[in-house]
Amino acid sequence: MNIRCARPSDLMNMQHCNLLCLPENYQMKYYFYHGLSWPQLSYVAEDEKGHIVGYVLAKMEEDGEDNRHGHITSLAVKRSHRRLGLAQKLMNQASLAMVECFKAKYVSLHVRKSNRAALNLYTNSLGFKILEIEPKYYADGEDAYSMMRDLSAFAAESKTEPQPTENLEIKSESAIISQC
Amino acid sequence: MPPSNPLPPKENALFKRILRCYEHKQYKNGLKFAKQILSNPKFAEHGETLAMKGLTLNCLGRKEEAYEYVRRGLRNDLKSPVCWHVYGLLQRSDKKYDEAIKCYRNALKWEKENIQILRDLSLLQIQMRDLEGYKDTRYQLFMLRPTQRASWIGFAMSYHLLGDYEMAISILDAFRTNQMKGTDDYEHSELLLYQNMVLAESGQYERALQHLQKFSSQILDKLSIKETSGEYYLKLKRFKEAESVYEDLLKRNPENVMYYAKLIEAKQLVDPDEKVAFFEVYKKEFPRAIAPRRLQLTEALAQPVFEKLVDEYLRHGLHKGIPPLFVDLRSLYAVQDKAETIEKLILQYLENLAKNGTFGPDPSEVKQPASALLWAYYYAAQHFDYKKDTDRALQYIDAAIDHTPTLIELFIVKGRIYKHAGDPVSAYQWLEEAQAMDTADRYVNSKCARYMLRAGHVKRAEDMCAKFTREGVPATENLNEMQCMWFQTEAAAAYKRLQQWGEALKKAHEVDRHFSEIMEDQFDFHSYCMRKMTLRSYVGLLRLEDVLRAHPFYFRAAKVAVDVYLRLDQHPLQDAPQTAEPDTENLAPSELKKLRNKQRKAKRKAEQESALQAQVQVKREQHHKARQQQEQGDPEAPQLDELIPDKLARAEDPLEQALKFLQPLRTLAADRIDTHLMAFEIYFRKDKPLLMLQSIKRAHRLDAAHHHLHDCLLRFQGWLDDNLASLNPAVAAVITKEIEPMVRGRSTVEMAEQFVSLPGTAVCQAAALSAARALRRHRPPRADQALQLATSLDYPDLSIQGCVDVLDSLRDGDFGPCEKEIEQYIEACRKKFPYAIAFKPASELSELADDRAPADDAPLQPKEIAVNN
Repeated sequence: MNIRCARPSDLMNMQHCNLLCLPENYQMKYYFYHGLSWPQLSYVAEDEKGHIVGYVLAKMEEDGEDNRHGHITSLAVKRSHRRLGLAQKLMNQASLAMVECFKAKYVSLHVRKSNRAALNLYTNSLGFKILEIEPKYYADGEDAYSMMRDLSAFAAESKTEPQPTENLEIKSESAIISQC
Repeated sequence: MPPSNPLPPKENALFKRILRCYEHKQYKNGLKFAKQILSNPKFAEHGETLAMKGLTLNCLGRKEEAYEYVRRGLRNDLKSPVCWHVYGLLQRSDKKYDEAIKCYRNALKWEKENIQILRDLSLLQIQMRDLEGYKDTRYQLFMLRPTQRASWIGFAMSYHLLGDYEMAISILDAFRTNQMKGTDDYEHSELLLYQNMVLAESGQYERALQHLQKFSSQILDKLSIKETSGEYYLKLKRFKEAESVYEDLLKRNPENVMYYAKLIEAKQLVDPDEKVAFFEVYKKEFPRAIAPRRLQLTEALAQPVFEKLVDEYLRHGLHKGIPPLFVDLRSLYAVQDKAETIEKLILQYLENLAKNGTFGPDPSEVKQPASALLWAYYYAAQHFDYKKDTDRALQYIDAAIDHTPTLIELFIVKGRIYKHAGDPVSAYQWLEEAQAMDTADRYVNSKCARYMLRAGHVKRAEDMCAKFTREGVPATENLNEMQCMWFQTEAAAAYKRLQQWGEALKKAHEVDRHFSEIMEDQFDFHSYCMRKMTLRSYVGLLRLEDVLRAHPFYFRAAKVAVDVYLRLDQHPLQDAPQTAEPDTENLAPSELKKLRNKQRKAKRKAEQESALQAQVQVKREQHHKARQQQEQGDPEAPQLDELIPDKLARAEDPLEQALKFLQPLRTLAADRIDTHLMAFEIYFRKDKPLLMLQSIKRAHRLDAAHHHLHDCLLRFQGWLDDNLASLNPAVAAVITKEIEPMVRGRSTVEMAEQFVSLPGTAVCQAAALSAARALRRHRPPRADQALQLATSLDYPDLSIQGCVDVLDSLRDGDFGPCEKEIEQYIEACRKKFPYAIAFKPASELSELADDRAPADDAPLQPKEIAVNN
């Protein structure tokens, strides 16, 4: 299994994976909206044939400078590819990108109250905390747990990365500007 | 510019209010103000008001009136840019983009510098990929509004898309240097990365690399910096630097397969042993990562090395109970040796686990948990299923189920074994078992529905899907709304097998419409991405949309549609509608009245139901809020014609319809021989010799030995024998010359005879069937040999589907009357494929046919069953 950042050409196959696995579905345009607004935040897991077996579709909620946080719109791993730790790996990649590119402080998501497996993953493997219950969040009337995970650990991690050499002298550039 | 037909101040104020109402979507009010102007006899024919009234009506769904008013307005004021613009907007909302472009151009004739019209025009041009036109329009916008950011970006992008990289780079440079401070960091970062992308596409990797390094502190997307610079270092053969970049990247994401491949490239490793050692290092560095361990197995070639590694891998997986272990290793089976090694190990584990609870023969080894045996059974079942050894596969899966009767995965695999063995009915029944054990899992639900479709139970599959679709709406409707194409392509194929042509076409058209819709989806992003600056992804979107219908879903739907339309062209449906109307002529008047009443009631009920559905549809799901915001731009989306199966199946021009489905494939799936073979079939029926020739030549280029191509060639030669003389001499000369290298002066009889002795015929069942048919057709005296060739079971690629095809051909009379031979053939197939219901005698089948089938569910006939994938 290969884990990498999603490209526009993955979006249709993410939709397919979503329709196979989850009750909450979206039209293609909504995937485009994610992929074209926050191209760094969505990740896919693919098998050797390039078929998508799992994905995370994520976005930023930009309500105010102090409350910049990421949000997981959808996360799925095909049942045939469970227990490989894919969900966790996908989530961690997306979270790192949220911090690096958008200075996210935390990431939030919703999960069905009845979805014990997912709740377990989020609380035990990924360090999410339940924030509150959102009554009747889902179309069928089910309540959702609203959850969040603090990302300050990721922020520290991304700062300690070795900085590439900067400010190399470039001569070829200024010459072209005059053309236009 | 003043309006060409000015209104006095009071009316003019009203007119401005119409415009404002339009912008704010207050259409009713807009109509009120229009009425106030138009009711004054002096202005009853005021062009711009009439046009605006039409545009407003269009937004209220009154399209016909809209066209009437807009056209009338335009006629009254041909020099008004407003009228032309409005006409353009109307056509645009009707998706008639070419027409809309013409209107905008006319509008611009009368008002050259109207920013709004220029912007609208540029959007249409990029949507239609009129790249030259787009460049001109972006140039004008740039000249008119040089202070606006979008002017610069659009201007640069128009050059980029045309491949004029230098110009694009210069514009971006100038923009960047002149840009006011304080822009959003992320947008600035994206802009730099976009510029870098243009540099890379121009092939100047050195320069691109320097650019990236110079600005790296301003770029937030650290992953992109590393991935692209790694790419550049490799292109520039600066391997040391590439190495350190990819090592960094692996620290970030040790599950990325490409990073390992690139690192191997940077380290210039070629020897398998070196690669095995390479992965050893990363296994240690990232003990929790799967990729290095798994990739090592692919690279390990030497027997003892592979055995040691795979032994370790299997033990780990079975110990931890990782269900996808087989799926993960399956691709190793391409190497026979590796498959045999795995089999040997698995059988050892099974023996030892059952005896001692250990993997190895040494009873003092660490004892495994009880579940290890279960997972070993599970693995063995899939292993033997892969090897088409149904009996052993079933034996192991049953052992697993005995061990743990509550594990859903086991039932899924059991169903899959039956599917592969040619028994789709048992297959879906086992999936039903699995589904019932966890009704909250949509994946199992989807799988189950898919298996039902394979078994020809469309209605039942819909009911299965309905457990996860929105309540109050038929499942198919919701699946269609959600663009659920796996279901629709499978359903199309199922209907085709059931010979419900209209329904099959409906599903194929639904898929086609999704693709059209997804093409439309890009419209809003043309301006959106310029604001957001996510230009790299935007270019990715444009390139995706350019080849959108290359997607396998489209190919599948198109194939069904073409096949069905070809069939309908050959065997048009009877005129009588499929739903049997009661014979009203022979009814007594009172009976007739009763019948009419009943029909009326039924109709009313149907209407009420659909009204209810409409209401439910209005209720949007909560999580769609954001999407709705996105979609607001298009309230005037045109109404598509309803797809009515019966009408589709009675299309007047089935071949034209087939061509419409085929057309995108001819450019986007030109590398698939099926595309050209389908094209041949259509043009053959249309008697278009040059296009037949073209299709054959294209297919020939892809695979000169393809059996279906031989068949086409043979039929084409036959067609030429009959028709060449009547063709235009110039055309005939071209065809004769072009076809010669393939026909090589042979007659159809000679070709048919040689076809039999081609090397492919001996090793490919489908090729043998084609050859046998041709021989029977062209050399009736060799009928016995033809039949023998078709019904042999000695082909290395022998498959259930292949035998079903032979059987169909026999039954269709391709080999003349041969009742006895059919019986014998079925008997022989049954021995070979004992589970396949296609070869079971009718008596056994009726026992097998499940009693739970609802009355309206189509009965299952052997030839309607899909086998394998």
